[in-house]
Amino acid sequence: MTAGDIAAVPARRRRARRFVGLGLGWSLLAVGFLLAFFLLPLIDNGIKSFFGPDGFSTAPYRKLLSDPYYLAVTWRTLQVSAIVTVASLLVGYPVAYFFVRYAGRWQTLMIMLLIAPLLTSIIMRTFGWQVLFARRGVVNVVLRDLGIIERPLNLVNDPAMVYVGLVHVLVPFMVLSIAAVLQRIDPRLEESAMILGAGRLRAFLSVTLPLSLDGVATGCILVFMLTNGSFITMLLLGGGNVVTLPLLIYQQFNLTRDTAFAGAMGNVLLVFAVACLFVQLRLIARRGVKA
Amino acid sequence: MTDRPALSVALEDISKTFGPVHALRPTSLSVEPGEMLALLGPSGCGKTTTLRVIAGFETPDTGTVRIGGVDVTDLRPNRRNLGMVFQNYSLFPHMTVGQNIAFGLRMRRVDKATQGQKVRDALALVRLAGFEDRFAHQLSGGQQQRVALARALVTDPSVLLLDEPLGALDKNLREGMQFELRQLQKRLDITSILVTHDQEEALTMSDRVAVLSAGEILQVGPPSAVYERPRNRFVSEFLGTANVFEATVERAEGGRLALAVAAGTATVRSLVPGEGILGGRRLVAVRPEKIDVARNGDGIPARVVEHVFRGSYHAYSLEVPGRAVPVFAYRQTPLVDGAALAPGDAVRLGWPAEWLVLLDDEAP
Amino acid sequence: MRARRRRRTDWAKVGLGTFVVLFFLFVMAPIVVVVVVSFGEAEFISFPIQSVSLRWYRRIVEYRPFIDSLLVSLQLAFSSALLACLLGIPAALALARSQRPLAQALATFLLAPLSMPAIVLGFALLYYLSALGFGVSFDALLVAHTVIAIPYVTRNVIAVYRAVPGDLEEAAAILGAGRFETFRLVTLPLIKPGVFAGSLFAILISLDNLPISFFFGTSSTNTLPVVMLSYLQNQFDPSVAAVCTVQMALAVVALLVVERIGDIRSASV
Ligand SMILES: Nc1ncnc2c1ncn2[C@@H]1O[C@H](COP(=O)(O)OP(=O)(O)OP(=O)(O)O)[C@@H](O)[C@H]1O
Ligand SMILES: [Mg+2]
Repeated sequence: MTAGDIAAVPARRRRARRFVGLGLGWSLLAVGFLLAFFLLPLIDNGIKSFFGPDGFSTAPYRKLLSDPYYLAVTWRTLQVSAIVTVASLLVGYPVAYFFVRYAGRWQTLMIMLLIAPLLTSIIMRTFGWQVLFARRGVVNVVLRDLGIIERPLNLVNDPAMVYVGLVHVLVPFMVLSIAAVLQRIDPRLEESAMILGAGRLRAFLSVTLPLSLDGVATGCILVFMLTNGSFITMLLLGGGNVVTLPLLIYQQFNLTRDTAFAGAMGNVLLVFAVACLFVQLRLIARRGVKA
Repeated sequence: MTDRPALSVALEDISKTFGPVHALRPTSLSVEPGEMLALLGPSGCGKTTTLRVIAGFETPDTGTVRIGGVDVTDLRPNRRNLGMVFQNYSLFPHMTVGQNIAFGLRMRRVDKATQGQKVRDALALVRLAGFEDRFAHQLSGGQQQRVALARALVTDPSVLLLDEPLGALDKNLREGMQFELRQLQKRLDITSILVTHDQEEALTMSDRVAVLSAGEILQVGPPSAVYERPRNRFVSEFLGTANVFEATVERAEGGRLALAVAAGTATVRSLVPGEGILGGRRLVAVRPEKIDVARNGDGIPARVVEHVFRGSYHAYSLEVPGRAVPVFAYRQTPLVDGAALAPGDAVRLGWPAEWLVLLDDEAP
Repeated sequence: MRARRRRRTDWAKVGLGTFVVLFFLFVMAPIVVVVVVSFGEAEFISFPIQSVSLRWYRRIVEYRPFIDSLLVSLQLAFSSALLACLLGIPAALALARSQRPLAQALATFLLAPLSMPAIVLGFALLYYLSALGFGVSFDALLVAHTVIAIPYVTRNVIAVYRAVPGDLEEAAAILGAGRFETFRLVTLPLIKPGVFAGSLFAILISLDNLPISFFFGTSSTNTLPVVMLSYLQNQFDPSVAAVCTVQMALAVVALLVVERIGDIRSASV
């Protein structure tokens, strides 16, 4: 403001004060904490990955992007996430649909059963699969008793087990995301499509499914993001057959302590996560506009 | 509740903007001690903002708020000793009725025994004795409303602010509460400001009405004066129904104007008090119940289009050739010259000169 | 015509219903199996079990690392949740109702740790905190777990506070309550469900956290999941099942407590 501007204002304008609620300043403690212990460490890690023992170097990244083994690991990380996401969607959508349209008084029970796994540790659930698929585990025993197999199958270290374990851990997130959106869709929309002559399936495909895509997208991003960072399932159920970036970081840290390389892998993982977060924010923003 | 002199409230040149929105243009308003003033206006005109400025929740950009003559503009809401009833009551859901009402007393460090006594008195005042231990969600809308009133009154506030206090009640309950609230306010002799967008409520409950539009107070006065002598077209049409005509000033002398209203093939001439320039075009208004309907004569020719019986009166809508909007006439009886008016009848319209209201607006 | 339509409706329902039952069998199977195995008698893991015993629960008590790490985990979970509440509640209250773009951006930032792979964060924090002199210590663990806890507290409190009408606090103010009294007597009781739900999730996540905790593992700072993982990699006996079952029981108790105090339905995972 210049002196002229002030003269132009007839009476001094009072500053608005706040009498209830807290000002934005109150968020600074938490924001500062996360700046110091969340954002800075990640940035620091990003910078450090470019500095080896002999100064600036892009060697870790060159290794990561040229070595066929590491390229394959990066590629597999995305692949596993994609497969788990699609599988969770295929398994989760019907469950979410049943929950919203048919469950009725069973809804409370279903919610409890969906939340129950979240109360158990990942180790517990992974361990449970190990027991079930062990040499003398239930699955082998049942299959043998039924005469389907003669000798117990070696299921524990099969790559398929990793997918089963991951879907098991992540599918509740998918169901809850989709159900949240389905709940807001009026069932009469589907009914009116049927009155207009659409078959049951057509009505679903042309009315409910498109309207629920929002929830599908939310759930898919969430599951993709969470799979991207998982390694315990790969570690305990994969038997070294499904190596992804997080697992490799874990192994490198435990065995070789090659921190620059582990840091570089972490940064690649981070880029994937930031991309997911970006898509997620776009989804939220779009929904905000609609609401 | 104790005897304390009622206090006045004064707004002096208050203005308030929210970004680009002028919620209040420089506005002055004074409320006399013990008076019930209604703030009336369409949605978004700044009623709630006015109330929140008085309460201290909004800081005005300019101007001064005085309560009992004291400048309170910079006083925090909790120090203004006001009572307020919110539109949706805003009872604390985690407290019982008793705790809700005692809250203000607790803040004033009143001792427990006195608190209990005052809560009982306040509940008796709003005819809810014995409801202390209920929670708000266990009460009906009308009961919640009365608890909110008791909570606002128990601290013996100097001014009572009411933001659409009856807006959430159904019609029957609302009419009962209007009466009850008004009686209570008179008995306690407490200066009150009532925000409403219901014109009937404003007219029946208040000593004076202030009509707002787009952040400006257009007219303040006793209900009958504002109703019968609206200052401009907006007030005339917002408060009740008005038939607005264009008039030409034929003579202007000694504070009186001779106006000619031409409609259809006829011209009605009336002499009204007011200032104006010769040949000027002005708007005038006539309330539907002041319209005279005759079978013949030299009034404005019109045709009955519709007749609606509204219980206490008959409403007619009449078509005047050359006029886009119908003229409304309310009558106690459907009979004109011994025969009931019916759609299709040709009639002549006029009005007593004293009920022709000269509005501030120039005719377009 | 009518009958046929009704039968078709049933088919969809029956088909989906069967699928849902199978789904929940799939969801519950590994959990139930672990609980059952933990009550086994045999030296090795077998399912179904031959006879019931509590020997593996006794083994937990005897095997020091389990108990020690459980205590570390509990201490860590509760103190990080507390710290997250101290930092996150004021932030949530400040950000929840503001329409300003800055407020929305800050709220998004406070939730960001949820979207980042924990293993990367753990790795980065280890070297960062070491450079700061924290090194591998309980304090370092506490900082790391608080980073993860803040989003849960913030998100739940924001959600609950948004649903609290603003005029309740104004009503308190006009009745004579100052800022602090308004907060203590009105705001805090009303956001309590959000605080409890947020803390519950923070505690559960902390108790189960492996990707961050294992970076900070020493004999005195090993958390329960870290000890369980290394035990699992070396031995394969039912004591891990017993530990898992105890951990789950603790979580269920915590959930029930929160459910009594607050409204869990208002919580978001
Ligand atoms: N906190 C705010 N931020 C931005 N604009 C606001 C705010 N409060 C009010 N306004 C704007 O100021 C104007 C006056 O609002 P106010 O609430 O006083 O209207 P009102 O007369 O009470 O209307 P209603 O009858 O709908 O309650 C409106 O245009 C409104 O959009
Ligand atoms: Mg309003």
